[in-house]
Amino acid sequence: MSELDDFKATYFDECTELLTELEEQFAAIEAGERDADRLNAVFRAIHSIKGGAGAFGFTGLVGFAHAYETLLDHVRDGRVEMSDDVVALSIRANDIVADHVNAARSGEALPADYGAHEKSRFDALCRGEAVDADADGEPVEEFDIEFTPVRVDIGAVPADDAFEAPPFSAPAGHWEIRFAPHQALYARANDPLLLLRELAALGEVSVRAVVRDIPVLADFEPFGVYCTWEISLVAPGITQGQIREVFEFVEGDCDISIVELGADASAAQPAPAAEALPEPLPAEPDFLSLAEDEIGAIGVSALAGSAGEAGPEGDAFADSPVPSFAELAEAIKPAVAAEAAPAPQPMAPAAAPASAPPDDGERRGGGVQSIRVDLDKVDRVVNMVGELVITQSMLTQQMDETLRARYTELVRGLEVLAQTTRGLQDSVMAIRAQPVKSVFSRMPRLVRELAVKTGKKIRLETIGENTEIDKTVIEQLSDPLTHMIRNSADHGIETPERRLAAGKSETGTIRLSAEQAGGNILIVIEDDGAGINREKVLQLARNKALVAADVQPTDEQIDQLIFAPGFSTAEAVSDISGRGVGMDVVLSNIKKIGGSVHVRSWPGRGTRMTLRLPLTLAVLDVMLVRVSESPYVVPLSSIVETIQCSRAPFERVPSGGKVLQVRGEYVPVIDLAQRFGMPTQADPESRMVVLCEAEGGSKVALIVDDIIGQQQVVIKSLEENFEQVEGIAGGTILGDGNVALIVDVQGLKSTIHHKNAA
Amino acid sequence: MEVLGIRDDVIDKAAVAAHNSLQLIAFSIGEQTYGVEITTVREIRAWNGATPLPNTREYVRGVINLRGTIVPIFDLRARFGDGQTSPTKNHVVVVMSVGDKWVGILVDAVSDILTVSRDDIHAVPEGNSIDTELLNGIVTHEGRMVGLIDLHSIVAGSKLDG
Repeated sequence: MSELDDFKATYFDECTELLTELEEQFAAIEAGERDADRLNAVFRAIHSIKGGAGAFGFTGLVGFAHAYETLLDHVRDGRVEMSDDVVALSIRANDIVADHVNAARSGEALPADYGAHEKSRFDALCRGEAVDADADGEPVEEFDIEFTPVRVDIGAVPADDAFEAPPFSAPAGHWEIRFAPHQALYARANDPLLLLRELAALGEVSVRAVVRDIPVLADFEPFGVYCTWEISLVAPGITQGQIREVFEFVEGDCDISIVELGADASAAQPAPAAEALPEPLPAEPDFLSLAEDEIGAIGVSALAGSAGEAGPEGDAFADSPVPSFAELAEAIKPAVAAEAAPAPQPMAPAAAPASAPPDDGERRGGGVQSIRVDLDKVDRVVNMVGELVITQSMLTQQMDETLRARYTELVRGLEVLAQTTRGLQDSVMAIRAQPVKSVFSRMPRLVRELAVKTGKKIRLETIGENTEIDKTVIEQLSDPLTHMIRNSADHGIETPERRLAAGKSETGTIRLSAEQAGGNILIVIEDDGAGINREKVLQLARNKALVAADVQPTDEQIDQLIFAPGFSTAEAVSDISGRGVGMDVVLSNIKKIGGSVHVRSWPGRGTRMTLRLPLTLAVLDVMLVRVSESPYVVPLSSIVETIQCSRAPFERVPSGGKVLQVRGEYVPVIDLAQRFGMPTQADPESRMVVLCEAEGGSKVALIVDDIIGQQQVVIKSLEENFEQVEGIAGGTILGDGNVALIVDVQGLKSTIHHKNAA
Repeated sequence: MEVLGIRDDVIDKAAVAAHNSLQLIAFSIGEQTYGVEITTVREIRAWNGATPLPNTREYVRGVINLRGTIVPIFDLRARFGDGQTSPTKNHVVVVMSVGDKWVGILVDAVSDILTVSRDDIHAVPEGNSIDTELLNGIVTHEGRMVGLIDLHSIVAGSKLDG
């Protein structure tokens, strides 16, 4: 399965969920609940389906969803009344959207005018005409979507499929492909092996690695790209377009030449191995012998890890260096192997070294190397391991010096238990951790397509894509990132002309980065565009009554307004973004997984949006504190420092409250005992200040009675059996079995503002 | 069908007219006896302290750890408006399921398991809204009144008050 197929599968899973949600929403709407929330939810669902469809080129679906969305937009603005007819039409439209999704999933084509009748009714409604349910007129195709061929799964397309106009089609094609990746291809985490495998899926391939450009070791750059490939493909009935499609994701990051041999021999490049085509095996021996030729020049011994002894002389090859190349060959082989099986003979010379790495052998032979497990089951394991960690640390705490001296065996056992538990915990967390790459790698294509659609020049840089996050977090990340990048491309980056006029380079840059910061993952989307137009944002927010006329928000607050529901500054509604659903989807998705979004903008210089996400949803590093007689925990990720009260530079403010001066900054102070209504007998001088950082870098100082220590806890919900408690983010169970409450720093901080405003 | 046989025995023993009778767990608060249907009770445990929740109603005593789940404890005496219980080790927490939630109520002592007939349940006398809100009905057992606790209103009430 190619990466693209993976993404598609994910998208279709999401579509299924969204379509289910649509059903639910309309069930309620039909029952008479026609409030704005439901409409917004419907809108978001359609918008998300459309967004993904755009990325995969399902034009029919995009076209229909766009028209439908336009109608919903009119309804939302009150320009079109949500009458029973409109509801009925919408429900019909949901079915059509579902049909489009299903067709796209199965790779079938719907008739080009499928849903055209409904679309014309949308258009009529939006123009203010009454719905004429019986009108069966010509399909009206007014919107700005071009109908391009629907892309379907490459392997599944029959040769005579009408969708791909075959300009280079030739019935019995021998193709000669030269593929020379640039460094950027690797930098974007593409893997030539996957591409070669995809080619192998098209027909019989034989792959030759061209290694003649590998320099001597002294000139060898670790990140240099020295290897290119020549591929012979025998695949009757495929088109050049289909071959190109294999390389679609890496276009621009490599040189590709695709030449058809048989049909137009004069155009063919001289292909040394052409006569060997019907029998694809020579590729490997070729490769190995070539490799051996080159070995002298490279001094491969160092590569093989036996640096000292093996020089460029002959007999060293037999032992260490050759296997290393054989491994390389082995890595390439799967592309060939599919076709190679019937003719094992030429493999013989390479067989001994090639079988050396047993892993590879198993990988090919064993078949299933991974299983799909219901995430719930993993979660159960994670929870239990969490309990185990707590029990283990409790046991360890129970061991005092006398016990230690007396029961040495027991102590040793506990130490082993501690190690094993820790290892178990790491392994379990690793099951759920995934590199953000799986989300990031969807973005380059998105950006390319956005660039084409908007006529802008945009470059995407990605950094830190191997940063690992919990799978549940990653799954929630795709939608917000897509929307934010779309937003950057659509609203942030200016047109080339404007950029030149502003003295910037013609090409705008969007930088997507991920890094771990304490117990959080920071995902930053930066662009060097125009920045947020605060005047316009404020104006619009006032028009939409999001901000009262007499309130003057700060710059930062204005920036944050772009996340308000129903907010959009786009002058023209495009089919990319600009309906004001995108950004509130971002906020709600991120909040759902306990993260936060912060935006900063510099007029004329760009915008930076920072997503702060929890590393895992299961285990939290915390500081254990005491307030009155009760234990509380503060997430370690939010703590900046702790200070003893007697040394803390407090100042009084007119309200009677205190502020804390920290390096020239004045920070609001919350006495947790007072705030939580729990009288304390602690000596005011010996109490402690815990300086915390809330969303957006603003700080708050919490006063607690005592700091007990630091530990890992498993987050438990209070709402499961009770309800949300103000100022408390949840609960956790300590080693002694008691419940400690998790302090909600952000929540406490916002209630100060609330109280000040009141 | 041995399994069924055993079950039948148990049921025969437990109730005379199974579908018309009701088994209650009876517990006391001061001099007064109250009851809840036995099928809702999950566990009875001695009071062992609870972690207080900040800024909640007087009758929410806090939360406890029940095998890894956090369960809120309601002080039934305080819920009835008689002030907070001063719990000792002899006080008892009755853990029950209410809808899909588990909650504990703090009572003075659990006294008995009662079997009563549904026909003997009386309506709560009108007059005080607290009585009609918190009690489902009243039965007489050995000459004494047993109030049937309406669990939903005890838990749901916490939201309304908030």
